[in-house]
Amino acid sequence: MIPTFEYKVPRTLTEACDLLWQYGDRAKVIAGGTDLVISLRNGLIKPELLIDITHLPELRRIEERNDSVSIGGSVTHSEIVSSLIVQTYGRILSEASSQVGSPQIRNLGTLGGNIVNASPAADTVPPLMVLEAKAKILSKEGEKEIPVSSLFRGPYQSALQPHEILVSISFKKLGQDMKGSLIRLARREGMAISRMSIAVILQKKGDLIEDIRISIGAVTPIPNRMKEAESLLKHQRYDTDLLKMASEKVSSEMILQTGIRASTPYKKPVVEALVERAIRRAFGDTQ
Amino acid sequence: MRGIGLNIPKVDALDKVLGTSMYGEDFSFSNLLHLKVVRSRIPHAKVVGIETGEALKVTGVERIFTAKDIPGNNRIGVIQKDQPVLVSDRVRRVGDPIALVAAKTIEGAEEACEKVKVIYEELPFVKTPEEALRPFAPPIHEKGNLLIEFNLIKGDIQVGFKEAEIIIEKTYTTTWVDHAYLEPDGGVAFWDEKGRLTVICPTQNVHYDQREVASLLNLPIEKVRIIQPTTGGAFGGRLDVTVQCFLALAAFHLKRPVRLLYTHEEVFQVISKRHPLKIHYRSGARKDGRLVAVEVDILGDTGAYASYGTTVAVRSAIHATGPYEVPHVKIRSRMAYTNNPWSGAMRGFGVPQIAFAHESQMDLLAQALKMDPLEIRKINALQVGGETATGQLLRASVGIRKTLREIERWRNKISLSKFDPERPFLRRGIGIGSMWYGIGNTGIANPSTAQIELSPKGEIKLYIGVADIGQGSDTALLQIASEALAVEIKEIQLIRADTSNTTDAGSTSASRQTYITGNAILKAIENLKKEVLKEASFLLHEEEGDLFVEEGFVKHRQKFCIALPIQEVARRTGRTIRGEGYFDPETTKLDPKTGQGSPYATYAFATHLAEVEVDIETGKVRVLRVIATHDVGRAIHPKNVIGQIIGGVAMGVGFALMEEYIPGQTISFLNYLIPTSKDVPEVIPILVEDQEPSGPFGAKGVGEPALIPSAPAILNAIADAIGERIYHLPAKLERVLEAVQKSKSD
Ligand SMILES: Cc1cc2nc3c(=O)[nH]c(=O)nc-3n(C[C@H](O)[C@H](O)[C@H](O)COP(=O)(O)OP(=O)(O)OC[C@H]3O[C@@H](n4cnc5c(N)ncnc54)[C@H](O)[C@@H]3O)c2cc1C
Repeated sequence: MIPTFEYKVPRTLTEACDLLWQYGDRAKVIAGGTDLVISLRNGLIKPELLIDITHLPELRRIEERNDSVSIGGSVTHSEIVSSLIVQTYGRILSEASSQVGSPQIRNLGTLGGNIVNASPAADTVPPLMVLEAKAKILSKEGEKEIPVSSLFRGPYQSALQPHEILVSISFKKLGQDMKGSLIRLARREGMAISRMSIAVILQKKGDLIEDIRISIGAVTPIPNRMKEAESLLKHQRYDTDLLKMASEKVSSEMILQTGIRASTPYKKPVVEALVERAIRRAFGDTQ
Repeated sequence: MRGIGLNIPKVDALDKVLGTSMYGEDFSFSNLLHLKVVRSRIPHAKVVGIETGEALKVTGVERIFTAKDIPGNNRIGVIQKDQPVLVSDRVRRVGDPIALVAAKTIEGAEEACEKVKVIYEELPFVKTPEEALRPFAPPIHEKGNLLIEFNLIKGDIQVGFKEAEIIIEKTYTTTWVDHAYLEPDGGVAFWDEKGRLTVICPTQNVHYDQREVASLLNLPIEKVRIIQPTTGGAFGGRLDVTVQCFLALAAFHLKRPVRLLYTHEEVFQVISKRHPLKIHYRSGARKDGRLVAVEVDILGDTGAYASYGTTVAVRSAIHATGPYEVPHVKIRSRMAYTNNPWSGAMRGFGVPQIAFAHESQMDLLAQALKMDPLEIRKINALQVGGETATGQLLRASVGIRKTLREIERWRNKISLSKFDPERPFLRRGIGIGSMWYGIGNTGIANPSTAQIELSPKGEIKLYIGVADIGQGSDTALLQIASEALAVEIKEIQLIRADTSNTTDAGSTSASRQTYITGNAILKAIENLKKEVLKEASFLLHEEEGDLFVEEGFVKHRQKFCIALPIQEVARRTGRTIRGEGYFDPETTKLDPKTGQGSPYATYAFATHLAEVEVDIETGKVRVLRVIATHDVGRAIHPKNVIGQIIGGVAMGVGFALMEEYIPGQTISFLNYLIPTSKDVPEVIPILVEDQEPSGPFGAKGVGEPALIPSAPAILNAIADAIGERIYHLPAKLERVLEAVQKSKSD
């Protein structure tokens, strides 16, 4: 049973921040509710107040600003999928949103919710990591802009304070020579939590890997960039042996973070294969 | 033909589309109390005390029932009565019911449940059937941990293996599978105006429920009324009692309406599961592909209670050879109690599990003999005049060869390339799976009854005890009645699955209702026509022998001007004219030592062909297409039959690739994965109608057969794709990848 609570729909961001300041951790922000309601029902949280932020215009916009794209915290996955701006300048993110849950979940679930819920399997996070996205955070204390990567403390533990609101996410538009690729593995085709996902953005110059960013999802407690693999590949000629070495760097990093588990014999070869596959795709070595 | 073979709209479709169908939870009363069940959280323990004091203090709590409140027999069970409705002295599984709370609100009932204190003395618990059967294993029931051992012996197995030129011996395992019906169990109970304790809730057998409730409460049977509302799926999970006894017990004492609704989590935890079977299979064949010997050892886990464990043990043994003629057969099939979730009936009663084994064996034999998998099946397939493993002579309607021929035609058209140059990590393959399935209960009487009435008002009423659980028996049975009476379906009122108005039809299971109740209806109509002729002879002053019924009219053999609608006969006599029907399929009891006999009056046959794509780097399998050929005897409603087939394939994909109930881990649909619409392949259903002479208009059954061949076909296709076989279901990512790695290292 879901316990009773108050429900407020602030009309301005200031009003929302005031409420959050006043209630602190006795309040919870609700966007689509697709994560929150489950926690309510399971008795994991018992907020006195729910603050519905889905009517705040600042959180509902997708905007193009010179060299960057900004997406409001309450923009839904469906809206991301159908946004031409995101498709053009951050395709990897629209692909990720298109794979979330089911149409019903995508119609309700939001980008902000996906990030703040801090599930290791959150689908939009690895793409945001390789897009080097920034989060605009607002509270009574003021506004700040910090990298999305700094928003995670542990599985299901956001670094966001209870009184803070994630207003928007922004990232630099990808250049023509930057290609992204996203691979997602799940136990079934729809409505399945990701078992593993790989996001890669690669800048190519002839047969050189000019720049590369790699992030993996669902297999580490918090999202990471695979820095060692990246530096191994950066400025190098594209080469299958090198790919293999890089993918092994990724699996070592994964094991370093999680320790050897019962699932490691499966995950290690698979993460390696999928990292290679994602890089091949991003490089345009069509496979 | 008026009704048979026509795709009329399902009679329940409109209500479902409009949302006006009444399910168990839709019945409401202003003064009802809500029930919640207190359940065991540990698998095996003595219950030393149950303290309800604190719980009774919760606001709104009216009463808390324990085993002490049961006036009658606190033991239920479809075959063996070994399951308490409320545990008195011992819990045998996680989820065993201990107390029942009645409160004014659900919240109150929930809170009280938390406050009921159960004092346990924990007992060692048994985790596997092997462990259960070891000497000195903790006994779960007084009679010991072996529920049943069934043996089937035909010919001489040693002679058989001596004749064999190739022998394949493997072990296969399957795990717990949930029925995953979408409507959680729930319903209401109340005393009706005639003083009957009435329970409305989803079920597959109202008359069985009635007997259990009456015995629990020590009430005369006619004082209990069970009504089946519209039901959202069942697949065998509603053959056992679910909420009936709780509802009845509370309403009995409280003398006011009560309601109990399970959550999805509760359904997953407490409803029976498909039996995990461990199958050790040894087959021998000659070089020409002829099977000469099959020896199988089956060990199943029935969990804490018997439920249908006996049925599954026997049925899986009888079907263990597959739809093939084998001269020498030896099968031992055992079922053991454990402290695991209890296993019960689930679509196929063990045959889906055993079909996975026998079809894997057929492919392994074919591979060893360098034969075409279709060829080896054709060589061995049963035919009219053939003899089954139980020594039953098959006299008609053996369509297995026809299904194989259809599959062959399709296979010749398939151009599936094993490799994909664009995506080198993919492998594709095709596989075949065949099955047979005995219609009706195994080697026991399992009759059905039906009545048909013509009222003086000209109404036609059909009374059947059959629960339609969504599969479409209402429609098919009305079609049969309409055809036999030669009246339109909309002229027939159907009264069904209500113990106060209908008689026992047996359960909606074992793919039996079309065949068995269909026949009972035909009998009822035959008898009705006799009555009509008697009355008509009075009315018309004609010799009864000169009159006959044709196309819904009473006619005269010589006087062609006489044509009286049968409804008119009832109208003119001013009395209700009634016909009663009874049908029990022709079966014989199986010999207790050798299992020989004729357990079923008829069998359904089917073959599926699956095309799959395997990602050899991740183990991900996609089923691309399934071609499903089914010998159904006669399709009364072809669209419904096709619906069953497509649903069966969907369920088969789940059984093959992902469905796995893990005790202690599985919560609900959250982490129990069944295929979504995106996982279900294209299905090409093909109906082979090899008519069954004893069936209503030639029909047999299709409900369970639809599921059975899919998983075997998919598993054979995976083996074809990756060159290595998987012996344990489900073929999830990890298992497939492991098989790929093995095929590389071989
Ligand atoms: C059936 C089902 C399938 C799913 N499948 C997937 C899947 O495939 N992939 C996937 O990644 N996820 C999946 N999810 C999870 C969920 O849908 C997503 O994480 C979604 O993006 C959450 O967004 P929401 O708006 O519903 O969040 P909510 O539930 O409203 O909120 C989640 C958390 O974030 C906080 N929050 C939300 N917005 C803000 C904000 N702007 N500022 C501060 N705090 C905020 C809330 O307080 C809460 O703690 C699934 C969920 C369900 C129920």
